[in-house]
This record gives sequence, structure tokens and C-alpha cells, in this order.
Amino acid sequence: MSASQSAVRSRAEAVKVSRTFDWLILFTLFFVVLGGYHIHYMLTGGDWDFWTDWKDRRLWVTVAPIVSITFPAAVQACLWYRYRLPFGAVVCILGLLLGEWINRYLNFWGWTYFPVNFCFPSNLFPGAIVLDAVLLLSGSLTVTAVVGGLAYGLLFYPGNWPIIAPLHVPVEYNGMMMTLADLQGYHYVRTGTPEYIRMVEKGTLRTFGKDVAPVSAFFSGFVSIIIYFLWHFFGKWFAQTTFVSSEDF
Amino acid sequence: MKILKDKVAKLSFVALLITMTAAMFYAPTASAHGEKSQAAFMRMRTIHWFDLNWSKDEVAVNDTMTLTGKFYVFQGWPETVDKPEVSFLNVGIPGPVFIRAGSWIGGQLVPRSVSLELGETYEFKVLLKARRPGDWHVHAMMNVQGGGPIIGPGKWVTVTGSMSNFVNPVTTLTGETIDLEHYNLDNTYFWHGLWYAIGLLWVAYWARKPLFIPRSIAVESGKANTLITALDRKVTLGFAVGTIAIVAASMGSTNDKYPITTPLQAGLLRGMKTIELPVATVKVKVEDATYRVPGRAMQMTLTLTNNGDSAVRLGEFNTAGVRFLDPAVSEDESGYPDDLLAEEGLTVSDNSPLAPGQSRTVQVTASDAAWEVYRLADLIYDPDSRFAGLLFFYDASGNRQMVTVDAPLIPTFI
Repeated sequence: MSASQSAVRSRAEAVKVSRTFDWLILFTLFFVVLGGYHIHYMLTGGDWDFWTDWKDRRLWVTVAPIVSITFPAAVQACLWYRYRLPFGAVVCILGLLLGEWINRYLNFWGWTYFPVNFCFPSNLFPGAIVLDAVLLLSGSLTVTAVVGGLAYGLLFYPGNWPIIAPLHVPVEYNGMMMTLADLQGYHYVRTGTPEYIRMVEKGTLRTFGKDVAPVSAFFSGFVSIIIYFLWHFFGKWFAQTTFVSSEDF
Repeated sequence: MKILKDKVAKLSFVALLITMTAAMFYAPTASAHGEKSQAAFMRMRTIHWFDLNWSKDEVAVNDTMTLTGKFYVFQGWPETVDKPEVSFLNVGIPGPVFIRAGSWIGGQLVPRSVSLELGETYEFKVLLKARRPGDWHVHAMMNVQGGGPIIGPGKWVTVTGSMSNFVNPVTTLTGETIDLEHYNLDNTYFWHGLWYAIGLLWVAYWARKPLFIPRSIAVESGKANTLITALDRKVTLGFAVGTIAIVAASMGSTNDKYPITTPLQAGLLRGMKTIELPVATVKVKVEDATYRVPGRAMQMTLTLTNNGDSAVRLGEFNTAGVRFLDPAVSEDESGYPDDLLAEEGLTVSDNSPLAPGQSRTVQVTASDAAWEVYRLADLIYDPDSRFAGLLFFYDASGNRQMVTVDAPLIPTFI
């Protein structure tokens, strides 16, 4: 076989090779995204995602969507513009959550024995599914950023509420009131995470009383729109092929 | 010659690989908390822990023990460390091998950060419930914002039993008693599992059709719009609407199930109760202080003046949790950790009772291997080469008074 001849000799063979490539690329993409996104999210979301006593109605709600919409936006750009595939956001969250669960189970529980009900990751799926859906239905970067980005921020807290609400039941402990999540943070000793570094319930949204979570979610959604634009362009730039010379082939 | 060199190189490489592989079979447990690595001046001039007591040396899973004692917040707190205006009483243990069932300063529960005052002494207590079997080094510890963890003395405690038997019952204000060790776990797994399955379904829907090469060819040839079918749009709409519906319904049902929830609690506790120690009637002036590197000994020239009404003797010098005792005056009966206790480590040139109104200049030597073992001798490499500590004087009736010392330290190398 010369270099100019095709490696496949029939349409069936071509389809088979193409599918093999599909799985190879998808597999590789999944784990590359898992690694990169996981590190990014651990560095930027960090403790807010690690511990239940950091999952508050102000800062967790605000920070987590903003720092987690990054990779979904970039991977969406690559998969949409090059392949018209609308699962960039969800495939990112699948990778991230698999990595997070492996980390929480093997490291947090397996090595240091923090109970999993204290250190489970945040649920990012609802926002990611809607983000992908808006991209496909609109086919527009701007609409996806504005509608999808906003929805990504807005759906975060209600998407997690069924998981964290049981931990926000109050308890009286030695004369003080706290939530079960606070009590977890107090009981399960973290020598390197003293109470004062918890960034929870800080801010000036006091005029909204107890209904501060929706306001934080809206703010998070607005900033997510901006971050979506930024990272979408990163993804688009990385997905270009202009730096690959045709002479190489 | 070249062949010989190649062989040597090859064998060396193999030997290196074998050595590295063999190293994997020796992985000792890391039990330390870095207490010896912390800058000596940090340990000597910030929080002085004393009268520490670990109630048990061995405790079974689910049983409790206490760590009690006092700490003096040093008046001469170093400038290079933030003041303890936001601090947290912690314990230095390797993760949650115990749970902290309670911690108190001056009788007040301190689950949150507290503000401490320089020059004050506080009494503390930490109640620990054993969770994981093993031998654990249990330290007193104070985290200071801007200063880091200031770790105090530690003692080995053995936890026996099985972690699978550990329970952590808590009764909520809604009247439900739960086991916090496993509470909400099934619910967490359920929701994460459900959403992960929905995410996989979404990707599987697209992955059932050819993905990258044919679609790339279609996009490159301007036929991108043909890749999205009407069915795709309907399915996508179904996923979007379904997602929002699940979120809304699950939030509603959760609110019905847990009608009473409160936000996370946070805040700084101020006005912690201090303890009043007997007023020190002995005045101590540090004339000079040197550290003799070869002898692992610190020598102080002190001028002592007794302004009280009973004769006193110097019984103990305590710095960074290391206790140097003069056995003729003071003995430890608390089971203090051996490595931090120099039972005969304090020598005073004239330690006869100092009568009321009398003044005397004495040479005090605190010598023990602990200076090296606990790397206190590294003080001479610190940015603020001063030493500090607590001196305990006793009268004939056993009454104790505490005096702090704080002065420059000059090393001698010969």
C-alpha cells in the first residue's frame, strides 16, 4: 500500500474506523477535560465545593456557577463550531463530577475519613443540560451566553437544595443554635481549615432578609454570562486549525 | 572501553530503578503535625500553653476524653505575626480520628472564632469522642488568622475498637434524632446518581450517531445545519423542560419535607472570660540570656526581687511547651509527655528560698536535648531573635505564681 492509498477499502470499513475514532476521541476528551477542569474547579471553587458547612446561600451560590461555567463554555465552542455537537457542557460536568466523586471517596473518605455526607461535591448538571439545550435550540453564541449563562447561575441553588436542605435543619448544641452542616464542620476536625477562613454569609444583601439566595443566584447568573463569553472565545481559539500546516499531511 | 562504559551506565540505571522500586515498600505512617518545624519564636512568643492534662492515654471508639489546660496570650506578641483578634481553638490531630464533641474557653462553647486579648490567660477544655482506632498525637492548637496554626504540646493517645461501630447521634430542633455519621448519605447518592444518569443519557443520545469525522466533514462543507434534525430539537426541548421540571418539583417536595431550615451560622465571639491568676509578687529582670549551641543549654542571668510576704523558689521554666523543672522544687504529676518534660532540666545557681523583700541575681540554666529535638535552638535563625517563656515560683505552701520573661537571646558557638 502506498502512502497515497486509503487505509480503508470499503464504506463499511470507513464507518467502522470512524466509529473507532469517535470512541477514542470521546474517551480522550472526557479524561482530558476531567483532569483540567477538576484542577481548575478545585483551585477556584475549592472549599465551597468540599464542605457542607461552606455551602451557604450567598457565596457558594455566587462563586460556584461563575467558576464552573468556564470549561463548559470552552468545550461547547469547540464541539459546536467544529462538529455541531451540543453536549460540551454536560460532558464537562460528567468528567468533573466523576473526578470529584473519586477524589471525595478515595481521598477525603478513604485516606482521611471525612464522612461522605460532609464532603460531597455540588450538583452542576441542571445548569449544564439547559446550557447545552439552549445552544442547540438557538444555535447562537449570544443567546446561549445570555439565556444559558443566566439559567446556569439560577438553577444551581435549587438544583442542590434537595441534597443540602436536610443539613440545614437546626439543632441546639450546648446552648447554641446551629445547622447540622455547621455541626459537621465543628465535629469533624480539620486542623488546616479553621472556622474563620469559612467565607459564608458575608456580604451586604441584608435588605433582602432571608430571601437572599435568589438575589445571589441572579448575580451569579449575570457574571456567568460574562464568563461564558470569555471562555467561549478561549474554546473557539483553541479549536482553530490555522496553526496546523497542511504540508504536514 | 565504550562497551564497558555503556554497561556501567546500564547497570547504574537498573540499580537506580531497583532502589526507587524498593523505596515504595517502605512507607512509614506520617504522624507528625509539623510542630517541630514551626518557627521557634512563634512557639515561644505567642500562645503559652500550661497546666495541660489529657484525661486518658487509651480510649475506646465512642468513648470520650478531655484535653484541658490554660493558655497565656503573650503580651510581647511578635510584630511579624498578626494579633489573635480572630482565632479558633482547635486540636491538632490527623483528621477526624476523634470528633470534637465540644470546646470551651472560659466555660463558653466556642464552635466559632474568638477574639483574644494580649496579656490575658484563658482556661480551655476540648471534649473529644474517639472515632478511628490507632495511636494518635493529640495537640492543643490555636489557629490565628494571619498567623497560621500555633500548635501546642501533643501527647500520644491510643484509640481502640472498630470505626464501623462509631455513632454520632444528634437530636434536631424539629425533634428528630439522627446519626450524623451517615445522615443524608442515601439522599446525596440518589440525587447525584439521578443527575449523572440524565447527563449520560444526554451524551448517549448524541453518541449513538456518528460523531467527529463525518460531522467535521459536513461542517467543513457547509452542511452544518443538516446535522440537527427535528427529532434532535424535540429531544433537546424535552431534556430542557424535564430538567427544569425536576428541579422545580424536587425543590418543592424538599421544602415540604423540611419546612424548617436555617442558614449556616457564622460570626466572631468576643469578650471571652479570662482567668485571674494570683498577682505575681516576684519581679524578674533578665540581665542577659545566651544559648550555648554545643551544650544545648540556655543560660539566663536573672535578678529576682520578692515583693511578697512569703519566701519563694524558682521551680519551672516553660517555653514552647517544653517544661524545665528543678526537681527540688517542682515535680510533674500530670503525666506530661516525656519528650516535652526535662524533669531535671532547670539549674539555678542559688535556689534557696528568696525571702520577702530580698533581691538576688542568679544564673539559671535550662538544658535538655529538647532544645535540639524541638528545634528551639533554631531561634537564632528567626527574624526576631528573642526568647520568651513562663517562670513558675513556689512558696513553702505550694502556692504558685507565674512570671513571664521576654528578652534578646545571644547564641554562643564555643
